[in-house]
Amino acid sequence: MSMDAQLIEHMMEPKNYGTLEYADAQGIGKNPENGEKVAIYIRVGKDEDEVYIEDIKFQAIGCTTTVVAGSMLTQEAKGLNFNGVKNLVKATMKLLDKLPAEDAACSEMVALAISAAIDTYEAKINDPDYPIITYKISNSCVVKDENPPMETN
Amino acid sequence: MKTVMIKTHEAWLATLMAGFMSKTQNKQVLFDFSDILFRHFTWLENELIELGESYSYDRDSIPIKVEKLSVMLENIINRLNEIDLQLMSSPDKNLDARISEDIKYMKSVLLKMNDEHITAFNMDRKFPGINLTEEATDALTLFLFEETYKEYELIMIYNYLKAHSKDAYLNRIFQILIDESFFHLKSFGDMGAKMGILAVPRIIMKELYQVQDVVQFLKDGINEELAAKDECKRLAEAVSKDSPKLEMFFDFINHQENYHISLMEDALKYFEKGKNE
Repeated sequence: MSMDAQLIEHMMEPKNYGTLEYADAQGIGKNPENGEKVAIYIRVGKDEDEVYIEDIKFQAIGCTTTVVAGSMLTQEAKGLNFNGVKNLVKATMKLLDKLPAEDAACSEMVALAISAAIDTYEAKINDPDYPIITYKISNSCVVKDENPPMETN
Repeated sequence: MKTVMIKTHEAWLATLMAGFMSKTQNKQVLFDFSDILFRHFTWLENELIELGESYSYDRDSIPIKVEKLSVMLENIINRLNEIDLQLMSSPDKNLDARISEDIKYMKSVLLKMNDEHITAFNMDRKFPGINLTEEATDALTLFLFEETYKEYELIMIYNYLKAHSKDAYLNRIFQILIDESFFHLKSFGDMGAKMGILAVPRIIMKELYQVQDVVQFLKDGINEELAAKDECKRLAEAVSKDSPKLEMFFDFINHQENYHISLMEDALKYFEKGKNE
């Protein structure tokens, strides 16, 4: 991760870190390889007929890159309607190929947690007891060796 | 009671951060006071356990970006006043009196502390007297953020385990690990302040300290300590050209991890022995 002032600001004071006391829904993004996870809490507002993210918070068991990704993406998501949030998640997932593997895993975990929170909210409309949805990431957090040992017979 | 414990948790961290910010003789006093507040926190936690009340280590975020130490000191005094007021809700009047007396003294000292100009948030990322390459600076920055949080996390996990154990053998191990993590937290926090990137460690998720499987936690912990050793080795190499002093420090931290691993292995053996008996 190369560092600029904005990035360091997110490290020093992650935006939207914590839980929401009266959250309408929660979602989890998880790395099955190492148990790292991101929890997203959302409070949903209604503007005419459209629902939007009134407030959003996150917590993470993970590295600093995950916290920075959580800080940035939740800032982006706040105030967006659900279509906007879904587009944000899609756009983030598209960008993952361009990132180093370990950074991609962190951002994917946050994006999937946001997606899970939205999906949980929608599922709870029909079933208020619907459990919190967890999505697992596909990127690996483990950095691959640039010069892997050659296989020998 | 729960509120008093949360407020004390916040006051402890605020005072610790003020200690990192200070560059004068105030520093040690603030560190001592933060240690006292941590002990208050553990006493209050113990009282909650004895009363059978559920509690967590959740807390509010703690704003610390100040330009003058006096602003932070005023903030800490306000926090202490709030705790003092809330103590009335505690059933253990002896405990209240002890905490209240400590607060009275600490406030009187804080009120008289000399003011200081704070540089702990200037984001300069320059270590005083040492010229690091950009790569080494980035590596050190990331390390300090990761490890400051990690040490706080470990203090809270071991503290929780200790609070819920009456086993003297294990509690000795947990206490040493808490003390070691405090030393590391203070070292890294101080370095962060010197680099102008001081930050309060983020709030810990409940599932981390409300450990369900202590054996697995210790096994994972040993692996994490091994990874931390590698990280220290890498960092020592990254800064070696620019600063033999920093290289030596990270080698020292690397070797300290051996002791932590050994303690955790002792605890693991003890737990596994207990399971098999």
